[in-house]
Amino acid sequence: MASEVPQFSHSVKLKYVKLGYQYLVIPIIITLISLTLLQTGPEQIYQLWTSMRFTFFQAICFFFLAVYASTVFYMTRPRSVYLVDFALFKPPQSMRVSFAGFMEHARMGLFTEPKSVHFQMKILERSGLGEQTCLPPAIRYIPPCPNMALAREEAEFVIFSCVDTLFENTGIKPKDVDFLILNCSLFSPTPSLTAMVINKYKMRSNIKSFNLSGMGCSAGLISIDLAKDLLQQYPNSNAVVISTEILTPNVYKGKERAMLLPNCLFRMGGAAVLLSNRWSDRRRAKYRLSHVVRTHKGADDASYRCVTQEEDSEGNVGILLNIELMKIAGEALKSNITTIGPLVLPASEQILFAISLIRRKLFDSKLKPYIPDFKKAFEHFCIHAGGRAVIDELQKSLQLTAEQVEASRMTLHRFGNTSSSSLWYELGYIESKGRMKRGDRVWQIAFGSGFKCNSAVWKCNRTIETPVAGAWADCIDKYPVHIPEVVKL
Amino acid sequence: MAEVSFICKRTVISTRPVQPGKFFPLSVLDHIMEHNHLRIVFYYQLPVVRKIGELTMKLRESISEMLSSFPIVVGRLIKSPEGRWMIKCNDAGLRMVEARARVTLDEWLRNVDREKELKLVHWEEMFHKPYFWSTFYVQITEFETGGLAIGLSCTHLLSDPKCATMLIKAWADTTLGGKIISPPSFRPLPSRKQEGDTPNHQPYFQMINHYKSVFGKPYAVSDIKQTTFTLEFKHEMVKRLIEMAGALPNGHKQELTPTPFEVLSALFWTSISKAKGIKGSLIDMSVSLDTRRKLHLDEGFFGNCTVYNMVKGDGLNENEVSKAAAAIKEVVSEMNKDRVMDLIEFLEQENIENPPWMTGYHLICANLENADPYSAIFEGNSSPVRVSYYLEPAVGPGQVLIYPSPGGDADFGRVVMVTLGEHEAENVLNDALIQQFSPTLLMSFSKELS
Repeated sequence: MASEVPQFSHSVKLKYVKLGYQYLVIPIIITLISLTLLQTGPEQIYQLWTSMRFTFFQAICFFFLAVYASTVFYMTRPRSVYLVDFALFKPPQSMRVSFAGFMEHARMGLFTEPKSVHFQMKILERSGLGEQTCLPPAIRYIPPCPNMALAREEAEFVIFSCVDTLFENTGIKPKDVDFLILNCSLFSPTPSLTAMVINKYKMRSNIKSFNLSGMGCSAGLISIDLAKDLLQQYPNSNAVVISTEILTPNVYKGKERAMLLPNCLFRMGGAAVLLSNRWSDRRRAKYRLSHVVRTHKGADDASYRCVTQEEDSEGNVGILLNIELMKIAGEALKSNITTIGPLVLPASEQILFAISLIRRKLFDSKLKPYIPDFKKAFEHFCIHAGGRAVIDELQKSLQLTAEQVEASRMTLHRFGNTSSSSLWYELGYIESKGRMKRGDRVWQIAFGSGFKCNSAVWKCNRTIETPVAGAWADCIDKYPVHIPEVVKL
Repeated sequence: MAEVSFICKRTVISTRPVQPGKFFPLSVLDHIMEHNHLRIVFYYQLPVVRKIGELTMKLRESISEMLSSFPIVVGRLIKSPEGRWMIKCNDAGLRMVEARARVTLDEWLRNVDREKELKLVHWEEMFHKPYFWSTFYVQITEFETGGLAIGLSCTHLLSDPKCATMLIKAWADTTLGGKIISPPSFRPLPSRKQEGDTPNHQPYFQMINHYKSVFGKPYAVSDIKQTTFTLEFKHEMVKRLIEMAGALPNGHKQELTPTPFEVLSALFWTSISKAKGIKGSLIDMSVSLDTRRKLHLDEGFFGNCTVYNMVKGDGLNENEVSKAAAAIKEVVSEMNKDRVMDLIEFLEQENIENPPWMTGYHLICANLENADPYSAIFEGNSSPVRVSYYLEPAVGPGQVLIYPSPGGDADFGRVVMVTLGEHEAENVLNDALIQQFSPTLLMSFSKELS
């Protein structure tokens, strides 16, 4: 997956030329246009006007045409989708899992399989998780008790907690919610989790609810995309998006190593987001949604089979991760950034990328492709905290600095892999650190089974003041922490 | 009849992570208690009747909060390179069992016996690999109409009865008010070198000899079935007993009035000796004391401070309670700071390979008066209605545990828990002298099971 910048770029001289070029292109174009305008003096412009000899009738027609054109223009322009606020689930520390505690339970569960226990220990040592991540109570029973009643309890606990906080922070009433979208990949009971929310908060009978399941860790952005499409269609409405993963029913009890990874990395978490297209929200909203780009590599068999939920030889259900996972993730990412590049990159980068593309197509396809510098396009990056390997890989391929991936690494450390809600924890981290300023652009990237790579681009609407109340409030001062390569257990 | 039904077992952990890499060495007094473990039950009748499980959830939250101040309780045992035990503070947690009893607390207390009561305290013997073994176990049993039983069991390597009681008190404080009133202190036992004392006196050998006498003895087992009964002596009765024991045969009074512990232990010492069929003398008895105050350690000292000493039974008659009380008093007064420090020094130099059976070879009489269990209040004003202490395993000639009875601070009321072979227990229970003081039988034993 490591795509390299062409050799000649490494030389220092060329780097400066490139830098100079990027800074000069736009100003040069502006200067040229202004010079042209200045050259034509005001009398020439007036002469141009009178020579056209408009009658009164023609003038009125042009006026109405202008009004009509601008109305059409405004009506067909896509509505702005605002993110008013979001709330994160803060698991109580009494549910936390220490490394030693996790290993003891792993040993008790797989008493006859020391190799599998040892494997889990190795994973945990290199995972990048800290000692404050949390698991639901059912998994901490001896033996774990993944029944439906406890799964529902976990769902209620996580979801209601986030939604309560969201309603409190935004002041919105449950009866005002127009769309309710919830994504939870591995737990899909009847009645659905959205029905559970609607029942608890007594929402309107004409609410449109959507319960997405089975879509993996990238489902959070899929829900955002769905909300966006709905909000473009219906004026003056809002949408509540809930992203979570309920872990209780999914603990893997078997010994297959390829299926033990999720046990080690997945932790409790959830987020609730309020999106709106109302004019009245444009001032208080935190972010405005710029783009959502979804890439699905399901047509390729290898990508499709990369992450599968299946039974092992003993009948235990678990999620099997293919060894080619990182390579496939890289391919999906490349697809995604090829699409998103033109939408977000500055003109300078786009021209360079276009030139490189033409060169490769026409002259020599062996030339390495040009990797656009995404640091120019965004101030903040939220990479799904799927695991340390994912973050390392993306940092390398997108050439990001340590500070740019800090949010992802620290979220992995404090909360673990919370699946689709991890992007929101990362955004919360950046806000809590006081780094989010008005006009900043954020890029959220998530991967999911299928294989999917989805990304969303947000623009910060107003500077977020610290301190920020929420899941990070009590520990943000301790971060960033240094996460060792290997934690000796 | 299965009155107690098990709901689940889980691991509870502290809310604040401990700094990694911390170790806590155990003291010599800890090491010698390796073969023993404690089981304690606290009974409460709470005013508010809740939905089943609600109280347990509340207690789970507060125990996690409390455990942040006790990193040793949630750590694990490992051996140092020199072969000494120490605790690695790794936040592994302690095991909690949740259970439900389908009777009210009153009904339970009327019919309880040793076997039933031990169902309220979960315990697991040390694993082959102690690194994965939880040293503390807590059980919460909810009764009908607001009754609650908290069971705590732990290895004696880490905690003596006073320390275990302190843990429950800390938990109660956290539940009631959110913080621990008397925080624990984790430090080593005082040593002579620290205090700058130069030992220029003759070391006291009796206590050291008592310890020596149990070194190297084989694994203690009991071939007869042991049972436990509990008697409560009211304040007035204990006063009467003190008067009786304080009177010398010639009608005069002894110089120093015996304490409730001394008279009660003398009473049971004589009675048990009689029940064992020994005439003309009393069996040798080992008295245990909490020496925190004597060593000038604060009440929150975490670890073992219990010291044993032998009271010889020769020359004492089974009918002379006053003489027996005087003998006990003498031995207890010898257990002062200097003597205990001598013992600690001796044990440190001794390097015992196999830990001895401190409670396996003599009749044990334990003074738990310092324990103060009734200040552990979880809710409102509800102090425990009853507390039971078990010093396990029940091997050896017998045990007598003496601690305060509920209600009243400077009271002389005492609860006595006696563990003996069934036949002997019957005899002691029917002893006319004991019955003279009208004790209330809090817990009896069921004779059908033998």
